[in-house]
Amino acid sequence: MELRQDEVTTRAVPATGWSAIGGLVLALVVASVTAWEVQMRRLGLRAGDLDDGASHWTVERRKIAAGKHDGVVIHGSSRILFDTDLDVWEELTGRRPIQLALPGTNPRFLLRGFAQDADFSGLVIVGVTPAVFFTDFTTAFPEYLELNTLWLEESPSRRFGHQVGLLLSRRLAFLDDQYRLGTLVDQLDIPDRPGVRRPHMRVWKLSESFDDRQYFLWPRLQTDARLREHAKAVWRLNFGRPVDASRFPAIIDSVREDVEKIRSRGGDVVFVRAPSDGDLYERELSVVPRAATWDPLLERTGSFGIHFEDHADMRGLDVVEMSHLSRESATRFTRAYVAVLVQRYPWLDRRAAAGS
Amino acid sequence: MVFNSLTFVVFFALVLLAHRLPLPWTAKKVNLLVASYLFYAAWNPPFVILLWISTIVDWYIARGIWNAREKSRAVRRAWLLGSLAVNLGFLAFFKYGEFLLQNWQALMASVGVEYVPPAWDIILPVGISFYTFQTMAYTLDVYLGRSKPLDSFLDFSLFVTFFPQLVAGPIVRPGQLVPQFARPVQATRDQMLWGLALMTLGLFMKVVIADSGLAASADAVFGADKPVGFADAWLGTLAFSGQIFCDFAGYSTIAIGSALCLGFALPDNFRMPYAAIGFSDFWRRWHISLSTWLRDYLYIPLGGNRGSEARTYVNLMLTMLLGGLWHGASWTFVVWGGLHGFYLAAERWIRSRTGVQGDPAGAWNRLALALTTYLLVNVTWVFFRAETFEGAARILAGMAGLAAEPAAVLPTVFMIKTGVIVAGMIAIQWLMRRRTLEDVVARAPWWLTGLVVAAMLFAVITTQGSGEAFIYFQF
Repeated sequence: MELRQDEVTTRAVPATGWSAIGGLVLALVVASVTAWEVQMRRLGLRAGDLDDGASHWTVERRKIAAGKHDGVVIHGSSRILFDTDLDVWEELTGRRPIQLALPGTNPRFLLRGFAQDADFSGLVIVGVTPAVFFTDFTTAFPEYLELNTLWLEESPSRRFGHQVGLLLSRRLAFLDDQYRLGTLVDQLDIPDRPGVRRPHMRVWKLSESFDDRQYFLWPRLQTDARLREHAKAVWRLNFGRPVDASRFPAIIDSVREDVEKIRSRGGDVVFVRAPSDGDLYERELSVVPRAATWDPLLERTGSFGIHFEDHADMRGLDVVEMSHLSRESATRFTRAYVAVLVQRYPWLDRRAAAGS
Repeated sequence: MVFNSLTFVVFFALVLLAHRLPLPWTAKKVNLLVASYLFYAAWNPPFVILLWISTIVDWYIARGIWNAREKSRAVRRAWLLGSLAVNLGFLAFFKYGEFLLQNWQALMASVGVEYVPPAWDIILPVGISFYTFQTMAYTLDVYLGRSKPLDSFLDFSLFVTFFPQLVAGPIVRPGQLVPQFARPVQATRDQMLWGLALMTLGLFMKVVIADSGLAASADAVFGADKPVGFADAWLGTLAFSGQIFCDFAGYSTIAIGSALCLGFALPDNFRMPYAAIGFSDFWRRWHISLSTWLRDYLYIPLGGNRGSEARTYVNLMLTMLLGGLWHGASWTFVVWGGLHGFYLAAERWIRSRTGVQGDPAGAWNRLALALTTYLLVNVTWVFFRAETFEGAARILAGMAGLAAEPAAVLPTVFMIKTGVIVAGMIAIQWLMRRRTLEDVVARAPWWLTGLVVAAMLFAVITTQGSGEAFIYFQF
């Protein structure tokens, strides 16, 4: 048999001016990244916007498992996420809810995971975006599908990387998922063949996120008509899909199962319908009418619900791109719905309880 | 831990720092060993135990084989079987367990027996195929009389675990790496800078080209649940050909660069594979450390080309079928390997009939044959990327222009990106077909090299990446 003896590997270093190359690379990268950072700040990005992701969610989810919570958890889609001001919550009740709502995601599949967690017995606030909640759509972000297990199994490497990412995001504005070089290329408005789902018509940057997953609508949407109109066009496209009304009863039944599980442990579930506006609201009225969705949901789950239509102080708010509130309106909306909640659940007001 | 993560940036900086401290050489090697275990444990800590078992088993079995060298071959073979049982047993359990169960279920069903296997909920340890092949190479070398067992358990452990190439290669032979552990090494300033430049190139290939430039096109076409047309099918497949190359060659380049920053040399794993003329040339350029492993530990022991012509073809086919299965527990990977085996056999037959050896004369002939090779390689990638035969058939029908009522799935921007990147990749590989990167850099003006590295680094930083795992981790 022919036997081969492996030789010790050696590697040649190209003979060139490495010191000069190192200096040039350093100078060019520092200059170009600085210029990029300046440009991103001009576009409205800010250092401290933490660029939320699955790892940020798992940090909050683990707080519940560790008992580091104030008995209130928020589930839902982007509306309850952007429209809730956690500081106001804390100011009004002395409690800071754990924010677990996810953009572009139906809260039902995470609610199921939560219902199966035997350790939680507090109040779950579920934000309802009807054209998402009452469909079989799960999420626009495949990585979220693993969240029910990821918070338990997340690797040490990923947890550490998230902490380093937070550290950098507090200092650099350009570290934003939606303003990556590749993402910006994909967003170019180039005509497509009929039937192709256009990257140009994906959701662009909508929000800023901070500690404790405090989200707010990105202020630039209030001042930049192009971004606002793009967001509206995307909502018309995304929410223009047909909704199967025959599924409503089965969906409500599945929610009822989860609600009952949470109640059986001494917890409770409240549903909140945040404002929408314009033709998006009109479409919601027609394809997911309240009488066929919201009302039966409350009735069959025996739950308390807060619908913006029912409260004068939750109407007339600034719904910037038909779906989400401006930061100022988010604060007002939170103030209004927390007040209603405290009326219904007096124990929520820890300060009052402490004073009595 | 993946190279394209912030965790790795911090980890590597600390490892470099520790390696440059004024410590005894043994302490530095212990540092590297501990760092390598941390590198692996950062993904899933309990699986470090598998690494330890592989290390301990092959350490003792190789010594057992060596001590039995004066005894009968049966005794040495029994020792070897012990190593194979443990290493291949790990692979069989963790990687092929579910596949074997599913096939057993199908076999039983074919003879009318209804068998429902238990749910298979086993996590595949990352890189298990790489490090088991690496430890097996050590034991096989001792068994085949190529080398003696090592004297230092520390050196052997570091050889098995050395973090730059632990989870996705290059699969290193003991003789290539272990002697480098014998004497203190420290990267020179030029080695350090060249190593960092290689790491930048590897990250650029992974983060910017594979993940940001091409993955979406491949995903859109291979994830379509409907027939796709000629242009979409070809562009999706070409995109995957670029993605898998830049993903895997990118990893190897980062591995080589990071090892060089520490003063160690790892062998090349890729040499412009898409400029190959013919399939034997392709396999001298693609995943070189695996193809040479299969050649030395499978093809040659099977008899290689020393038997009859028919036997040589059988050996070729067996080697490539097993090479396919090495990549993943699925029949689609077996077909991928089988197609490459068929290509290699066909090329061998044509060369033996025509008497043409090496590259053909004439630049246009060479170019035409290289493009033909590339296109045929792309056909194999369909089976590599598709998750089912139905999916593969759908793409192949599109590539042949036979799809019924094909749907358009690729956005124009993806088509442009794929076309530009793949054309650029082929052109660069063709121009560098007979040259190494080191040659090109040595001949280029220093400022041009600096400009290119800076541009790549800027693109990596502004593309950021989302820490997508390397495709080959799953193998």
